[in-house]
Amino acid sequence: MSEERKAEEERRDGAGPEREDAARAEDADEARVQNPLQNIALLFGALWRLVRGQDQRGRKVRWMIGLLRPYRGRMALMFAALLVETGAGLAPPYLAGRAIDAGIRTGDLSALDWTVAAFAAAAILYTAGTAAETYLVGWVGTRALQDLRERIFVHLQGMPIGFFTRNNPGVLISRMTNDVEALQQLVTTGVVTIFSSSLTLIGVVVILLALDVKLALITFLTFPLLALASLIFRIASSGAYKATRERIAAVTAYLQESISGMRVVRSFGQETRHVDEMTELNEANRAVNMTTVYLNAAYFPAVELLAAMGTAVILLYGGSQAINGALEVGVVVAFIGYLATFFEPIQELSQLYTTYQQGMAALDKIFDLLDTAPTMVDAPGAIDPGTISGEIELDDVWFSYADEGDPEKVPKDGWVLEGVDLHVPPGQTLALVGATGAGKSTFAKLVARFYDPQKGRVLVDGHDLRGVQQTALRRQLGIVPQEGFLFSGSVRENVAFGRPAASLEEIEEAIATVGATEFVAGLPDGIETQVGERGVQLSAGQRQLVAFARALLAQPRILILDEATSNVDVRTEKTIEKGLERLLHGRTAIVIAHRLSTIRRAGKIVVLEGGKIVEQGTHEELIAARGVYARLYGAWEESAAA
Amino acid sequence: MRTFRRLMGFLRPYRVQLWGSLLLAWAAIGMSVVIPLLISRGINAIEDGNKPNLLPLALTILGAGVLRLGLTVVRRLVAGKVSLGVEFDLRQLFYAHLQKLELGFFDTQQTGQLMSRATVDLQSIRFFLGYGLVFITQSLLTIVLAAVVMFALNPLLALLGLLPAPFVVWIAARYNRVSRPAVQEVAQRVAELTAEAEENVSGIRIVKAFAREEFQLHRFQRVVKRVFDQSIYSTRLQAFYSPLIGLLPQLGIALVLLIGGRMVIEGNLSLGNLTAFYTYLLMLAGPTRMLGVAMGMAQRAVASGNRMFEIIDREPTIQSPPEPARLPAGGGRVELRDVTLRYAAAPGAEHEAVPALHDVSLAVEAGRTVALVGPSGSGKTSLVALVARLYDPSAGTVLVDGVDVRDVDVEKLRAEVAFVADDSFLFTASVAANIAYARGSATREEVEAAARLAQADAFIQELPDGYDTRVGERGLTLSGGQRQRVAIARALLADPRILILDDATSSVDATTEASIKAGLREAMAGRTTFIIAHRLSTVSLADEIIVLDHGAVVDRGTHEELMEGCGFYREIADHGLADSVYLQRDLEEREEMARL
Repeated sequence: MSEERKAEEERRDGAGPEREDAARAEDADEARVQNPLQNIALLFGALWRLVRGQDQRGRKVRWMIGLLRPYRGRMALMFAALLVETGAGLAPPYLAGRAIDAGIRTGDLSALDWTVAAFAAAAILYTAGTAAETYLVGWVGTRALQDLRERIFVHLQGMPIGFFTRNNPGVLISRMTNDVEALQQLVTTGVVTIFSSSLTLIGVVVILLALDVKLALITFLTFPLLALASLIFRIASSGAYKATRERIAAVTAYLQESISGMRVVRSFGQETRHVDEMTELNEANRAVNMTTVYLNAAYFPAVELLAAMGTAVILLYGGSQAINGALEVGVVVAFIGYLATFFEPIQELSQLYTTYQQGMAALDKIFDLLDTAPTMVDAPGAIDPGTISGEIELDDVWFSYADEGDPEKVPKDGWVLEGVDLHVPPGQTLALVGATGAGKSTFAKLVARFYDPQKGRVLVDGHDLRGVQQTALRRQLGIVPQEGFLFSGSVRENVAFGRPAASLEEIEEAIATVGATEFVAGLPDGIETQVGERGVQLSAGQRQLVAFARALLAQPRILILDEATSNVDVRTEKTIEKGLERLLHGRTAIVIAHRLSTIRRAGKIVVLEGGKIVEQGTHEELIAARGVYARLYGAWEESAAA
Repeated sequence: MRTFRRLMGFLRPYRVQLWGSLLLAWAAIGMSVVIPLLISRGINAIEDGNKPNLLPLALTILGAGVLRLGLTVVRRLVAGKVSLGVEFDLRQLFYAHLQKLELGFFDTQQTGQLMSRATVDLQSIRFFLGYGLVFITQSLLTIVLAAVVMFALNPLLALLGLLPAPFVVWIAARYNRVSRPAVQEVAQRVAELTAEAEENVSGIRIVKAFAREEFQLHRFQRVVKRVFDQSIYSTRLQAFYSPLIGLLPQLGIALVLLIGGRMVIEGNLSLGNLTAFYTYLLMLAGPTRMLGVAMGMAQRAVASGNRMFEIIDREPTIQSPPEPARLPAGGGRVELRDVTLRYAAAPGAEHEAVPALHDVSLAVEAGRTVALVGPSGSGKTSLVALVARLYDPSAGTVLVDGVDVRDVDVEKLRAEVAFVADDSFLFTASVAANIAYARGSATREEVEAAARLAQADAFIQELPDGYDTRVGERGLTLSGGQRQRVAIARALLADPRILILDDATSSVDATTEASIKAGLREAMAGRTTFIIAHRLSTVSLADEIIVLDHGAVVDRGTHEELMEGCGFYREIADHGLADSVYLQRDLEEREEMARL
């Protein structure tokens, strides 16, 4: 795949589904007309390299065939149907010729009846074969690719959090949707077309040769002409289709941007200017499409002309041969019949090359993903710690977001935590204080084992987290992040996310504890209200309340509040603060907040600066120590009094 | 049918070309129909052993082929031009109309929905008008002409051969009818699947934090299964109908061979004519099927047309009056009289939305700087949006420099009001072009001066191409704080009477904010300024503070007065204050963290 093409793919990955649609429609336009013979040559060249193992994709393709293995019975049936279909599809022109020669011209009625019966039977067989083949290949392709979809999904679930930070979500989603669809296209239409079209072509050639070698060879003379037409077309069209795609992409992107930026357009009153800019893009799109109109206008009729030429040649040469008695009339008719079925498989095969390219590109991309091994899998022999007490210990922890397992390779200024030692006894509330970037969130993420430290150990109940089953640990964890992320579903389902077995009473109690009863009751369907995709039907504050209830219901042994109230308004925050006491009671908690009122109540306050602990102790101790915390608190008191 | 007629209206500018392309198409069909006749003559010549006749016949076939080539090339050129023209016109119409519609319309529409109208729907209309119509007439004419010739040759045989044709059209149309909703349902379910995948990728931290991987997998599998079931249903339809459509004409040919063969044997038909029938029937398989497809295209185009007209027919509610009053010179005095604002409810919502502003009256003298303070949803942003007439109040009047904003030219009014919103949207263009957005004629010096005031100059200089660096959705991604500073420069360069800073510095870290404040103070001189902010440090720029709650003005006064006399304000101030003290909110960090 050329670099250019790759860049194009990447660009399309990021695009929304609408843009995809447009791009795909354009692709279809292009595929219909692209130089057939060259495409076919390219296709078979690519397949040959694949079979010979000269393409590193061999492994991937074998793996893909492996996906079909569970359905090999159906695949075998499909191939049988395909053979029947192709064979039956080749028979009619020959039988029509036979009807003329053996039946009509000799006046043999029974021969005529039998041949026509065979003709009808072939048509019916063809229909049945096509129906069976379409259904079977559709079934197997869809099914196998659904399996693939699930496999990618499971693979993604196993990836560490850092992976999701590094990768654009749009691209990851595209792997499960667009790329799988491209592969499905290849499996369904690709497999069928390559076999049926090639067999048909070969079949026609063989039959024509068998009927009459000389006439066949003369008919084939139109081939070089087709190749020539293709070549001319290829030269003339080079770049034209790419240009059309670029233009329409520019138009679509501009439109999308205009809609997203409508508020700015309106508030600065710049409508006229945008319409003018759109006109320009639209005009450019029309101009570049005009070139393709010229090309299409020339190419298809040229192919039609070739068919007429073939007919003329057959009639002229075949006709004189027939008059000379060297050939029967039926054969001439059969030739004319076959000529009509000749160009379709060529068109289909040439279209296949695009499908092949797209499918292979998708396969590459899917493999890039599947080949990325999850780095944070449970170690062999990882233990289930059972119900934990919630004791946390950090033992000389060094951590960097640089994706390096080897601490020596981390750049000197890359450390987020630098040698943190800390012990949190079970049941204590630990407040983390410090500027953004001091390492507070990172600290919390290490306890949840979203990341492993490069150096040092994180221990819960004395177990190094590297040796603990991840799910066993996280099941006892409750996290409320800054943005309350909800899943589409009802409020009830979201609250019960961590413990689906919870009874309705328990769910309602959790909602009551965080003070959300009133707002939930005010929703159109109460607790059964659908929150929409990502919870968009609720306000940010409401989402956060649900997130709190969700964390509470999970009955975590360790609770992590990561700036959980920083994005909610004053009222919601007050509500949450009331329930906080209940929430923190009886469990270890790590609280990252900027409300000093919350922090003051913590059993231990840790002040982080530049990835190091600079102070720790209770509120009173730190005030007495007159250090960083005391200064912050002083400033706060002052401003509050102002 | 009404929609159909309106769609046809788009062709009116291209009447001449359209008729031209139809005539050309018919002539080309004439050639196609002639060829089998010539073949039949050839076969007859073979039967008669008439060798000299073969060459002229073959040459005539070739000639007809060449003529057809010429006609078709021109026809395709003309039709292609028409199709592109229609596409151009439609897109222009749609886009220009979008630019006319009021902002409230976009609040209730999903971007994806609008985009799909502009791409998918537009495509299907243009395909139908550009190609579909030609296909239909062409196919119909081919069938008619071939039928005429066949009836002339032998009525009985013609009847037999054409027997399947109506069934083919009927079945093809029926197939189209049943398969379209099925295919749409597949697309719908794939969309669900995409949404599900999206949610799982975005929410992966929550999934992992609660160790719910398996549960989510089951959810995903259910959606995957739904896609599978529907795809299979759709495949079954295809597997049934599609081959059936191919079968019928073949059976017609078999009948012709059977009966026609007998006629030839009995001497009632020449072998050449039988061959002609055979070739015609082969030839007709295409057009009959195409007719079904084109019918489908027509249906799709009408559906798309309906969706398109839904938008185009929507009258913009905010328009300049026919004879707009002149906006008098002034310093930007703003007055609201008994203003109530109720946003349009989202489509499908059962209840009318709660008013965002309720009976608000207030005046802000020219040149003053006021801060709007209140919890989220209290109506701050709605209030300032009314000043630029982004929305019209449901009741009451908004006046700028003594004139009702509904009486003046909208674009002129908006030129006097400049916004900086908290999510600073930049267009894909150079930084300089973005800053000069409202005043394209601005010189580079003016642009740089505005950037300096907004504290954006320094970082812009360091961008790869300085002021010529492309930013925005498809350009370089700036951080939230950088975007906001560019947006501030953009607003300053617009040189408005009224400046609105809606949480304009929320993403800027505290140190930068302090320096922006100095620039803002300079820029605010001589204009009326509205500041919406959650940080007291920003609010301190204001001469006066207006406290809002539940869409109503609670109180107004200076910070000191309100701390003294307004309990609600004190509450907000107490909570909001702590931030600015020690949280060096470097938003680049915060954005990064928000993703975790």
